[in-house]
Amino acid sequence: MILVNNVHKRYLTDHGPGKWVLQGIDLKIPPKHNVGLIGSNGAGKSTLLRIIGGVDQPTKGHVQRQCRVSWPMGYGGGLQGSLSGRQNAKFVCRIHGFTSAYDIKDRVSYIQDFAQLGESFDEPVKTYSSGMRSRLQFAMSLSIDFDVYISDEVTGAGDAAFTKKAQQAFKNIADHSGLIMVSHSEGTLKQFCQSGVFLHGGIAVWFDQIDDALKVYKESQLQ
Amino acid sequence: MATRSPLLIMWTVWAALFMREALWRLFSRRGAWAWLLLEPAFHIFYLIFIYTVLNVRHISGFDTSMWVVVGVVAFFIFDRTSSQTANAISANKSLFSYRQVLPADALFVRAVIELVLTLFAGILVLLLLSLFGRQVLPDDLPAVIQAIFGLWLLALGWGLVRAVLSDLVPEIDIVLNLIMRPMYLISGLMLPLSSLPPSYRDWLLLNPVAQGLEAARAGYSAAYHPFTGLSFSYLYASAVLMLFIGLLLLRKFGLRLVTE
Repeated sequence: MILVNNVHKRYLTDHGPGKWVLQGIDLKIPPKHNVGLIGSNGAGKSTLLRIIGGVDQPTKGHVQRQCRVSWPMGYGGGLQGSLSGRQNAKFVCRIHGFTSAYDIKDRVSYIQDFAQLGESFDEPVKTYSSGMRSRLQFAMSLSIDFDVYISDEVTGAGDAAFTKKAQQAFKNIADHSGLIMVSHSEGTLKQFCQSGVFLHGGIAVWFDQIDDALKVYKESQLQ
Repeated sequence: MATRSPLLIMWTVWAALFMREALWRLFSRRGAWAWLLLEPAFHIFYLIFIYTVLNVRHISGFDTSMWVVVGVVAFFIFDRTSSQTANAISANKSLFSYRQVLPADALFVRAVIELVLTLFAGILVLLLLSLFGRQVLPDDLPAVIQAIFGLWLLALGWGLVRAVLSDLVPEIDIVLNLIMRPMYLISGLMLPLSSLPPSYRDWLLLNPVAQGLEAARAGYSAAYHPFTGLSFSYLYASAVLMLFIGLLLLRKFGLRLVTE
């Protein structure tokens, strides 16, 4: 269960506080539930995802996570450029509670197999292309068991062969764990999500059926 | 899977950060590990060289080369710990995208790594000196540890203050660097403060770093006459005060450091 209580967010710009992006989001996301966030560009979908994932802090309000929540998959941060892919993978395993050498080795070899970076796995991440980065990040988030995965447009990562594998893995996640995702593709949302949250004007509206949320979203686009 | 307790999370994050930071510190650049040792060794070498040229064998009853070594190592404990801690936030920015990693974790871990590495470098230098027949074992080990630890606490506090302030007001770095520039001179690293006229010296004794250096030397050699006004409690009071201010700033603005 994830509780989002009265979350407000505005970013600090060089000229002081910017405009409000989120203005009082209240959500109760039940366990093992797949939710799609819908809204036009700039509605605050990624901002809300990052706050739920704990990457960024709300200006006001708070988020309670009563389960293990992933960091936003597909989000650009979280890789230290000077460290190799392997070292980054080890770091992530360690902070997520894998302490024995055996466990870490096991997780890292899983990440290595999935990401298929070849020899680059032992090169510094700053030498990676963006496709290689997203392969590594995707593999890292798969390697750890979360109750809820957070995904920001993740399924488009990598080349054709990888995308196919990633989608298969993503489907597996959607079947076994909770999922909160942002996607602009209606097909993807319908495929993976039961419920929808429509973000508009800084406010979130919950729909039990994703189809209803998509319908309201389309109507708002026509206006 | 059940959620983990905050303490356990903190511990695993510290262990992971420790590995990461130590790797970075030792192997980030070509020969990075060698510079850790060579930098203090170089300071020690040229200070000993100057005093040899001046034909100064003893300073206030302490063998000059040992006086220099203890001072330089103690100074580096302060200098490196505070500057590495101050840069901990910007160096780990990408890792804060895991919510388990908090600013305080990166700051503390860096301070501990600097302590360990600088002590290690210091011990290597002492081993080297013992090959030249110097008496390298301290007369009062607990007093030396007390002095080094006091300096380290002070450096940690000052590093916390700098880390938070320079993130909130980037321009402040220029001012703080200006203030810290003369520290090399006024902490009694090059010149024994006891050789200065009392009217000036009393002002310099307010500098806790100078107190720390002198306390370390006094602990090292029973024959050494430190300046009058040496006070452990002053060193520790300054360190605790600095740490308190640093923690207060961290408590108030810590989340802002990782918020966009």
